Amino acid sequence: MNNTQAILKSEPKWLEELRNQGTQDYKTLPVPTAKDENWRFASLFSTEAAEFKPSSEPSSQSKDLCLKQSQLLDQSSAESIYLDDHLIKKTSLSDDLKAKGVLYLSIQEAIDEHPDLLKKYFLKQSTELGSEKYFGLHASHVKAGSILYVPKGVEIEDSIINYYWTDTEKGLICPHTLIIAEAHSKISTIDVFNSLSDSNQAMSISVSNIYAHETAHVFRKVIQNFNTKTVSFQLDTTIAEKDTSVKNLALNLGSAKARFENQVKINGSGAHVKMYSLTVAEDQQEFDQRTFQTHNAPNSVSDLLYKNALFDTSRTIFSGLIQVAEGAQQTDAYQTNRNLLLDPRADANSLPGLEILANDVKCSHGATTGNIDPEELFYLLSRGISHRVAMQLIVLGFFEEIIDELDSESLINTIRTLLETKFSAKLS
Amino acid sequence: MSDSTLNEQEESILVDNEKGNFSFPEDYQFDAGTGLSKETIAYISSVKNEAEWVKEFRLKALELFEKKPMPTHWASSDLENIVFDNIRYYLSKGQKPSRTWEEVPDDVKETFERLGIPEQERKFLAGVEAQFDSEAAYSRMKEDLEKEGVIFVGSSEGLEKYPEIFKPYFGKVIPSADNKFSALNSAVFSGGSFIYVPKGVKLKQPLQAYFRINAENFGQFERTLIIADEGAELTYMEGCTAPKFETATLHSAVVELVALKNAKIQYITVQNWSNNVFNLVTKRAHAEENAEVKWIDCNIGSRLTMKYPGVVLKGRKARGEVLSIALANDGQHQDTGAKMVHLADETTSNIISKSISIGEGRSTYRGQVHMPKHLKSCKNNTECDALLINSNSRTDTYPAITTRGDANTVQHEASVSKVSAEQIFYMMQRGLSEGEAMSLAVNGFVNDLLKAFPMEYSVELKRLIDMEMEGSVG
Amino acid sequence: MHSLEIKNLNVSIEDQPILKDFNLTIPKGEVHALMGPNGTGKSTLAKVIAGHEDYEVTSGSIELDGQSILGNEPDEISQAGLFLAFQYPLEIPGVSIANFIRAAKQSRLEEGNTLDAVAYYKELYEKMDALKIDRKFTSRSLNEGFSGGEKKRCEVLQMSMLEPKYCIMDETDSGLDIDALKIVSEGVNLMRGPDRGFLIITHYQRLLDYIIPDVVHVMFDGRIVHSGNAQLAHELEAKGYDWVKETFASPTVQ
Repeated sequence: MNNTQAILKSEPKWLEELRNQGTQDYKTLPVPTAKDENWRFASLFSTEAAEFKPSSEPSSQSKDLCLKQSQLLDQSSAESIYLDDHLIKKTSLSDDLKAKGVLYLSIQEAIDEHPDLLKKYFLKQSTELGSEKYFGLHASHVKAGSILYVPKGVEIEDSIINYYWTDTEKGLICPHTLIIAEAHSKISTIDVFNSLSDSNQAMSISVSNIYAHETAHVFRKVIQNFNTKTVSFQLDTTIAEKDTSVKNLALNLGSAKARFENQVKINGSGAHVKMYSLTVAEDQQEFDQRTFQTHNAPNSVSDLLYKNALFDTSRTIFSGLIQVAEGAQQTDAYQTNRNLLLDPRADANSLPGLEILANDVKCSHGATTGNIDPEELFYLLSRGISHRVAMQLIVLGFFEEIIDELDSESLINTIRTLLETKFSAKLS
Repeated sequence: MSDSTLNEQEESILVDNEKGNFSFPEDYQFDAGTGLSKETIAYISSVKNEAEWVKEFRLKALELFEKKPMPTHWASSDLENIVFDNIRYYLSKGQKPSRTWEEVPDDVKETFERLGIPEQERKFLAGVEAQFDSEAAYSRMKEDLEKEGVIFVGSSEGLEKYPEIFKPYFGKVIPSADNKFSALNSAVFSGGSFIYVPKGVKLKQPLQAYFRINAENFGQFERTLIIADEGAELTYMEGCTAPKFETATLHSAVVELVALKNAKIQYITVQNWSNNVFNLVTKRAHAEENAEVKWIDCNIGSRLTMKYPGVVLKGRKARGEVLSIALANDGQHQDTGAKMVHLADETTSNIISKSISIGEGRSTYRGQVHMPKHLKSCKNNTECDALLINSNSRTDTYPAITTRGDANTVQHEASVSKVSAEQIFYMMQRGLSEGEAMSLAVNGFVNDLLKAFPMEYSVELKRLIDMEMEGSVG
Repeated sequence: MHSLEIKNLNVSIEDQPILKDFNLTIPKGEVHALMGPNGTGKSTLAKVIAGHEDYEVTSGSIELDGQSILGNEPDEISQAGLFLAFQYPLEIPGVSIANFIRAAKQSRLEEGNTLDAVAYYKELYEKMDALKIDRKFTSRSLNEGFSGGEKKRCEVLQMSMLEPKYCIMDETDSGLDIDALKIVSEGVNLMRGPDRGFLIITHYQRLLDYIIPDVVHVMFDGRIVHSGNAQLAHELEAKGYDWVKETFASPTVQ
């Protein structure tokens, strides 16, 4: 890895220092091993992160293709499209939202126009779930990303969509999403991770930091659908203050190996946080999910539901921890992991954890793993539904409670179609 | 059962914090001194007049112990406070275990009398072994069992007299290298029970062992191996106490169970260590085809207990169960759990763990359920419930579940609760004190598990829980 | 030809014989009731006809309008025109009633054809109204959280939507209160006709007050031991199943 240098134009001193720190961390922190509790059951990365390099400006042909395929929804408040970490398109917010003070900036724009905002929030939340080394790599390289600032009382109707594409063999991308939602604001965003080709092996180390200030409403959706050669890290944090409502929903379909770390810190009372994940694992894919629900304040709710369907010889690891700090009374914290094994060779691991230091709490976790109930299947078959369709119905039904949480009908349809296509190829 | 017999039983029973808090002046013929080295092992081995292979087994284990790091990357850092150089690894009065209580030295006899052991033996036990520090002072089994070929002896006697029976399994269920403390036990083990129940023999009454630490700075390392031959059945119970010393004491046992085809073993532990004992125990069973192993475990007391009884389900339709109650009071950490390894089709396992944390007590559940191969129709059910009494009490749950295969189902559920103010109010309105109400609620919380213990134990456990609850409210 | 015909059927589970040389013919247009004490093999018969794989058929035949269905997959048997109303309908999380029945109807169309959604919903709502099933049920997950009566009504709804040639109703009356029983019976009676045969499996005569059978069979120990008209059900109710046991327990009686 090269010594850190300024990657964007006129980077301030503090950013240079953060980049140096990142380089330092990446160099000095040990490569994780399966002996680390945070990496238990994970099969280790056979690929050296150092093999992956940032890519040069993509061809106009690739850009065109990329733009054509970046059409998740007809309606959005604004969109950014990055290809190999190069910004190829950014639509701007409506004049109305601009007038209300909403900011939707690339990192470069933030450096140039809102350095104080950037300094206050950018790269301030690392992960605590094992990939600190890779957060370092992200910090030293990050240049693609969106900073969304929603001022007090502003509600944004349509989603803001960030597309992050890869297209280069051994390409490294470090997408970054930063959301700052002020009091009484409301915002919904979608991050889409995708590969332009089926064949390039890429590495993505994405970071997302959400700051939900008092009473803010934030709903972030992530669709990870990289090609099955790509290695993906997704290092997400949320800080939820008093009376906030935060919802995270992840759809995990792609990558050879996808490591997903998602930490929510509840620092104020009255917060209500939901964490959902839907994963379809096939072939030799490995989805490694680590979650952390920290309750530092009383009277808040967090609810997690991670559902995995496993085909072929795929693997999933769910390792979650609910931590209720001393004094965080009247906490309601839940954690549920359900795994549906669709092939006897698939391998589901579940490590649901609790650390509770307050007694007046409602905390529970549940983990189940099983196959499709043959009696359920018989019931569907006995109505004349074919084996293939019956299996599809059951698997889609398994995910329905998560799909149901999506707030847009067209997104729901898009996701259903995506899943149906996947299952119809799988279930025959 | 009438009230009078109930009361009688309540009085007679063994384990009691206060009852256990006494010790006799030391008067040992054999003392391996302080600290651990090859010489310590040579000394233990020569006192026991052991076969060469046993000595070699010990020395190899010592090497493993020295090599292995403390498991503090996942376990409590309190382990760092064990000073192995300050521990006395072998203390005995040199006697062979007596067959009658009359022959037992007076101070030892009085110890066990105060703990109620001889009385229990008369009442409901098929055999008793009473260990005082490193060696058994008393060991006896009903004669008819001897005639049926049941063997119930200490570890030294077992290895010396019946190597053909015990050697094939000794150190095989739990290899010395399993963990740092199994290595330590393998190096310095002394005492414990070696039991063999022949084919088809079903013991109607339990066998019991009682482990007593008397000397300060002492480490107790009993070793137990129980083999139930095809179709055999037995229940084994162990109780443990130690006086309250100024300095920490170490108890590190290894317990291996082997249930051959169609055999059933039920292993019951009631531990009530004083709160400066490090209790680091490795327990595991092999269950062959259609065999059943049940660990029923109650952990009260100690400073730090680390214990995760396991069953390796090796044969088709084997069943494993762990039922455990843990109670952690101020300054205590009960780090307990269970391990179920499914290695054959149609194996089932069940884990029910209930913990109570009082004051600053901390209880931790660690579990492992493993269905690593392409098995069919295996089932696991795990339930962990934690009750937190005070606002600064703590509980943790760390299960690890791996599932593969066809028509397997694994289900894990955990919950955390407290005794609600409304419940307490309701009971107080009926005239109970707050403490009584709390005790009642706690007993209710563990009630269904208490039923798994023999009557004589469950009555006592209820009383122990009441004692622990004293002063927890108000 | 126009009948559901079961001949000399022998079925066992784990080498335990359940059905022993079982014979039954249900011509189109007729309603047959099958009564008998618990454990005589009534539900086994229903599941075997529907193609459940847990049962081992050692000999015999099952023909639907002259076509053998024995050994066919459950979906093929369903599409051939057989409907089984389950005693314990399964809960299918996340699959709504509307989607479920739609998939079942779609499966009956030739490849390339799609169901007319408007006509489908019109029919669905009409039939739901007839069975007094609230329309908001359409989007609820199949049988999930339904009461016993709701589950059974949902079975009859599926039956009427799929328009089978032969219907087997396995203890449909169990768990129903009197109002639900009437609704379910009306639903069934509406479907009676010359082109459809019914086999009503029940433990009690109660249901047969509402669905008057043409023939009543008494089953005991894996075979039909006695048949008669609707009056037989009343006789059974009066004498109790002990009478059946006493009368037919001897293997010489056939």
